[in-house]
Amino acid sequence: MPTEMEEEVFTGKLDWKLWRKTATFAKPYRKHIALLISIGALVSLLDTALPWLTRNMIDAITRSDSTGLRLQLYAYAAVVIVFVLCINAFILTAGWIATGIGYDVRKAAFAKLQDLPFAFYDRKAVGWLMARMTGDCATLSRVMGWALLDLSWGPCVLTAVTIMMFRLNWRLALLVVALTPILLLTARFFQRRILLTSRALRKANSQTTASFNESIVGVRTSKSMVREERNLEEFRTLADSMYNHALKNALYSALFIPLMLSICSIGTALVLWRGGLLVGPFGMSLGTLVAFVQYAGFLQFPVTEICNMLTQVQGAQASAERIATLLDADVEIQDSPEVRTAVAAHTASITATPTSKNLASDGKSTRIDSLEFRNVSFTYKAGRSVLQNFNLKVHAGQTIALVGPTGGGKTTIVGLACRFYEPTAGTILLSGIDYRERPLHWLQSNLGMVLQQPHLFSGTVRENIRYGRLSATDAEIEAAARLVNAHDFITTLKQGYDTPVGEGGSQLSSGQKQLVSLARAVLADPQIFIMDEATSSVDTQTERAIQSAIERVLKNRISFVIAHRLSTIKHADRILLIDQGRILEDGTHHDLIRLRGQYYDLYTNQFTHEREEALLEQEPRP
Amino acid sequence: MRATSRILWNLMAGQRGRYLLACAALAAGTLLTYFSPLLVRGAVDGLIDSNASRGIIAQAFANLRQQTSLSTALFFAGLLVIAATAAGGALVYLKGRWAARATEEIIRTLRLRLYNHLQHVPMAWHDKSQTGDIVQRCTSDVETVRNFYAAQVIDVLQNLSRILIVVPILFLLDWRMALASTALMPIIIGFTAFFFRRVQGTFKKSDEAEGALSARLQENLTGIRVVRAFARQDFEKTVFEERNATDRAARWKLYKLLSIFWASSDFLCFSQTALLILTGIWSVQSGRITVGTFIAFVTYGQMFIWPLREMGRTLTEVGKALVSIGRIQEVLAVPEESAPAAPAGGPSNSNPAFPGRLRGDIEFQNVHFSHGTAEVLRGVTLKIPAGSTVALLGPSGSGKTTLVNILLRMYDYDSGRVTLGGLELAQLDRKYVRSQFGVVLQEPFLFSKTLAENMRLGRHTASDEEVFAAAHVAAIHETVESFEQKYATLIGERGVTLSGGQRQRTAIARALLRDAPILILDDALSAVDTHTEAAILASLKRGHALGHRTTILIAHRLSTLMHADQIAVMEHGRIVQLGTHNQLIAQDGLYRRLWQIQSALEDDLRTDLNNDGQRRATLEIALDTDLNPGGITHAN
Repeated sequence: MPTEMEEEVFTGKLDWKLWRKTATFAKPYRKHIALLISIGALVSLLDTALPWLTRNMIDAITRSDSTGLRLQLYAYAAVVIVFVLCINAFILTAGWIATGIGYDVRKAAFAKLQDLPFAFYDRKAVGWLMARMTGDCATLSRVMGWALLDLSWGPCVLTAVTIMMFRLNWRLALLVVALTPILLLTARFFQRRILLTSRALRKANSQTTASFNESIVGVRTSKSMVREERNLEEFRTLADSMYNHALKNALYSALFIPLMLSICSIGTALVLWRGGLLVGPFGMSLGTLVAFVQYAGFLQFPVTEICNMLTQVQGAQASAERIATLLDADVEIQDSPEVRTAVAAHTASITATPTSKNLASDGKSTRIDSLEFRNVSFTYKAGRSVLQNFNLKVHAGQTIALVGPTGGGKTTIVGLACRFYEPTAGTILLSGIDYRERPLHWLQSNLGMVLQQPHLFSGTVRENIRYGRLSATDAEIEAAARLVNAHDFITTLKQGYDTPVGEGGSQLSSGQKQLVSLARAVLADPQIFIMDEATSSVDTQTERAIQSAIERVLKNRISFVIAHRLSTIKHADRILLIDQGRILEDGTHHDLIRLRGQYYDLYTNQFTHEREEALLEQEPRP
Repeated sequence: MRATSRILWNLMAGQRGRYLLACAALAAGTLLTYFSPLLVRGAVDGLIDSNASRGIIAQAFANLRQQTSLSTALFFAGLLVIAATAAGGALVYLKGRWAARATEEIIRTLRLRLYNHLQHVPMAWHDKSQTGDIVQRCTSDVETVRNFYAAQVIDVLQNLSRILIVVPILFLLDWRMALASTALMPIIIGFTAFFFRRVQGTFKKSDEAEGALSARLQENLTGIRVVRAFARQDFEKTVFEERNATDRAARWKLYKLLSIFWASSDFLCFSQTALLILTGIWSVQSGRITVGTFIAFVTYGQMFIWPLREMGRTLTEVGKALVSIGRIQEVLAVPEESAPAAPAGGPSNSNPAFPGRLRGDIEFQNVHFSHGTAEVLRGVTLKIPAGSTVALLGPSGSGKTTLVNILLRMYDYDSGRVTLGGLELAQLDRKYVRSQFGVVLQEPFLFSKTLAENMRLGRHTASDEEVFAAAHVAAIHETVESFEQKYATLIGERGVTLSGGQRQRTAIARALLRDAPILILDDALSAVDTHTEAAILASLKRGHALGHRTTILIAHRLSTLMHADQIAVMEHGRIVQLGTHNQLIAQDGLYRRLWQIQSALEDDLRTDLNNDGQRRATLEIALDTDLNPGGITHAN
């Protein structure tokens, strides 16, 4: 199934509705934002004041007014100190907002991810989700921290400088201010182009990474096919496109600043020309002229910042959109209002009468005697129908083996039983009650699951087993490990149960990982136990260990076993051969062999295969 | 250090001229940029007192004023300011352009060199290396080096040229003022360099916190089934929360440090300006300098003092670039696969004296080979006549795949002889040897291209008909036709995920398209079901008679092996049994034990089929009560 990996759109317009929604994340930081905006305004005043002070100083010097000069120097010192303090304060405030919002967005998104249905995960690749949680969150929080500062500083400084210039000399001011729109347009033009080219560059960069990766992983194939030259040719087009994008990006950047400077120099020239005439005879001081020259040169900074902020916001819009999509995604599978009321009522009664503790969270029995699929149909979002009118009833203590070709619906049946998905039609009953009338958390804390690719979390062996029941004692953990024959290998590890398993369990062999995940499932003491291809990618030794434990493990539970290995299938109470969403054959191993149908073929092939493997795997070294 | 600098210098080969131009433009641009404050100074001084002016510009300006009106003089001054800035800007742009060109050329060459080098280093090196690590060296390390050429070198040069150009100008104008305006410069550079070195640890901690956060996130997302199956959402939230908070704390600490840094460095810069102003006032009052010079100094001070703050960061980055180039050099220093020992003019693809297509007969004579410390082949002798099929059978690690790798010259044998078409293998060019084989490797690798492109990897000139024909033989044609985009279907993350069997069959089609004298199938049918396997083998056999193709089959399944002309059983790097199916089942050994599985199966089934007992009766009751009869559809 193709999953969405990357969609980068550059919409020109600002989506106000989206930003208003995103702004809710800024709410807890109202005070900080107010502070940040005030600091921005204050800094803009100081920025405007500095050239003015220089002017006064120069005028004082030319007039040889030493008291006035001293005053100006004090003022300058004061401005500098306030300025430096402001810089310190706004970095801290913007940093606080950025880190805080980043934290909040990640927290909200993570919580959401814990509730989203499996159907959502089927559509989105893990890489896509990771990019939302890291890159997009970072972009968004950065923009919300720093854009606000620029948002207040840029316009404030523009206004303040303009007012100041008009106060000093309105005619000269007009000349300088007339340049602002040109500066704005230029900055906007270039920053958009720089953003676009840097995006293209990033994309080309990730293609290059993928290409390097592929060439290394496939090096044996390339060598054996003598593909080196053609591979290089293909890579060359990629390297060329990187070259082109990078160059374009660099050229825009190289042109941008000199152009802004040149436009500002027009202002300086105008001021010098028209202003110079006003000095002396027309009452304008030399200091004022210098101040004007400085203001004209300074204008580019707020303009650049404002445009930069706009571009950043525009760039971040895609991030905001994707995060909003994630946060707004439909949870689909959750407790109904009735169930929630029942849970609330029961929680209240527990505090009153502790006797009802042995009941499930909704006050009903916690025991699952049977699991029944009644006329269940299921269709994936993509429209692929997997199950049609499926019926099955399983009693506690029964083990059901599901066999059949991949994509036939085995895993779907299991996913439905676990309520990872809900049937599109029909009902699934637990002890005769529709499971949608029971709490989701109750059902899912009664599941034990062992998958083909055992998934461990980084941490110690003990922590991983304890994942099955967080309240388990060390002795209980050890007992669970003993039950599944994992204890022996664990004790041979360097630090025994306290051995770290590494990221994703990388420090253990896949067989060892499987044993740990089995112990974890057993510790949970689940009423419904699921083994999905649990023995298909482990070595013979582990398989034997699992095999000898399995009867103890499955005892008294409703068990579903999806398997290839005959040893696992053969001893099931019932074997269902599933294909195209239907039960094609149903019975014990013995029955199905006698039927001489698909199961018979499957069994004979697998028998030969396993024996061959066994013969070829063991190699006694001389 | 010296070695790394030499590497960086060598990489610039061919681009040094352009780089030099960039440097010249940079110096000239700086000069011009610093020219316009002098213009303003001249104008100002000329305005105040046209007679007492000092300096060439002021004098020129004063002269101009005497000859024309003030307005015209000022107009020219203004024009000059624009011209100086624009010309300076043009030079800055040219600097940027040339530097970018040079950098991108250098980096493109480096990328291509790395890519090609990796294709030509020996397999043994690839076996030992970690893909992720190499990819990182080829991408992020290259990026660091790119930044070095594009930004850091230029930054350093820019600051150097500022210091080298502006400081003399300042000293020419007035040495006391010059001293005052540069006094704090070393302190500012020293402070920033010191600071950035100190915060490296904090940066690293912040990176680590982010890494830990991502790692947990990744574990949660990939293990979402486990999380749900144990209803551990709340626990996961708590764990994530911890990391999220640690990450926030680390970032916050960084912000606190940065706020101190920027505030103090700003303070230093302002102090520098203040010092300049004070000295300036004193100098103007004592009549040593003009107001114009004072203004020029203030402007200059602003121009070069602020960029200096970045120097500390730049220097840290330069350090990183040196590390990166070292890591890249480690990859480049790995020797490539050796050329053939034979002198020029030996057999190769480009030498017309040798046929493009060799005879397909192969002979191993007492071949030994060690991989690391383990002796993998211990005297293999085997003769494979052209056009015949040989099957290799043996436990994993017995040396079957190594034999294939030796044939393809992925590894070189230590002793013994291997001949291909009567020619000694070690004397042949590697690519020439490989072009004689169509190979399907264990767990074949497909590229993220379309199906047709993947098959054409075998022979890129193959026509559509040839592709279809090969796909037919490999029994993949119908599967491909069932895809929406047929042969144009993209494979991999962005397209269709193929099953193991489909991948193998695609790889077989690819190998068949090579149309090479020798076909090697290394466990290439393991994921294909027995019916399809039989069909493929039959089609191959038909193709055999036509193409006189030598075939080497490695398999576990007896059904795959049994029809070969000779079957070689390998154990511990030796061939322990050799013969036809009939010969081998007559001998005690691995082959016969495999053969006996068939009868074991029959025994197994017999007990099941005969053992009718109580279980059946109980089951029937269960069936009647438990199952809705409408839901079951029995096959046949």
